[in-house]
Amino acid sequence: MSSRRSSRSSVSEEEINELISKLQSLLPSSRRRGSNQASTTKLLKETCSYIKSLHREVDDLSDRLSDLMAGMDHNSPGAEIIRSLLR
Amino acid sequence: MEVISSSTKAPFEQAFLKNLLLILQDRSSSTPFHAMSLHDRKLAVKSSADIAMAAARGGGARWPKAILPPATTVANSCKAQRCRRIIVRSKRLCGGNYKRKSSMVVVRRRTMALRKVVPGGDAIDMDEASLLREAMDYVVHLQAQVDVLRRVSEVVQAQSTSDLRCMAMVVIRDPGFVASIMLCKAGEESMDQDFDWFFDRSVREL
Repeated sequence: MSSRRSSRSSVSEEEINELISKLQSLLPSSRRRGSNQASTTKLLKETCSYIKSLHREVDDLSDRLSDLMAGMDHNSPGAEIIRSLLR
Repeated sequence: MEVISSSTKAPFEQAFLKNLLLILQDRSSSTPFHAMSLHDRKLAVKSSADIAMAAARGGGARWPKAILPPATTVANSCKAQRCRRIIVRSKRLCGGNYKRKSSMVVVRRRTMALRKVVPGGDAIDMDEASLLREAMDYVVHLQAQVDVLRRVSEVVQAQSTSDLRCMAMVVIRDPGFVASIMLCKAGEESMDQDFDWFFDRSVREL
């Protein structure tokens, strides 16, 4: 019983380590540092801040897009194209 | 780690773009964007982008369900019947087997911050392995969302300068993307005419 439990938990550990290394390759810092052994805690922290920075980027781009759409020059030919896309 | 090739990224970006245009169109039909308050407008665009992203991701992950309102509300919020049919689902960007369940539910302090930023991450039955998979999937799709929003902004900005030359530059630099926007309305005759007219005119202006 206890051996079964410990083998289950070791498989989980492997799986988690594999997931963590995959996650590391997604983060922008992985290209800079080229290190392959960041600590798990650091990596999770970095993932959090990366997601937050992506959220901020989406917010900024959405703001920019909403301003552009509101201020579309009604006379320009291009605006007619955009309006027809949104109609 | 498998490389996210452009061939797998493109279907999601297409679906996201299509959903985004549909939802924006639907919202502006009730209130035009220039008539909205600044705050309402920003909120409308931001929520449209998130809903479009979640709908395009589909059922292969859990985070989209945490973003999308329950099915009945989505159907109600899109007045036109076609919105329900057309919300496009694409293939997954990442490989990975979501069907295999972790045998242990593990809650650790170090993942608490991550649970807060990943939609659905604070669900009771979200074990650490699933959380990491969800986070990876979410990051990849967030990157695509940023990419598409940036390119849409460029297209809209180019036309706002009333300069067809600018618009033509965007078309030449990113023809596939502009084509995607045009294709979102494929099948409508008037759209084909607009594209030809626009392209001819912009080439002449150069």
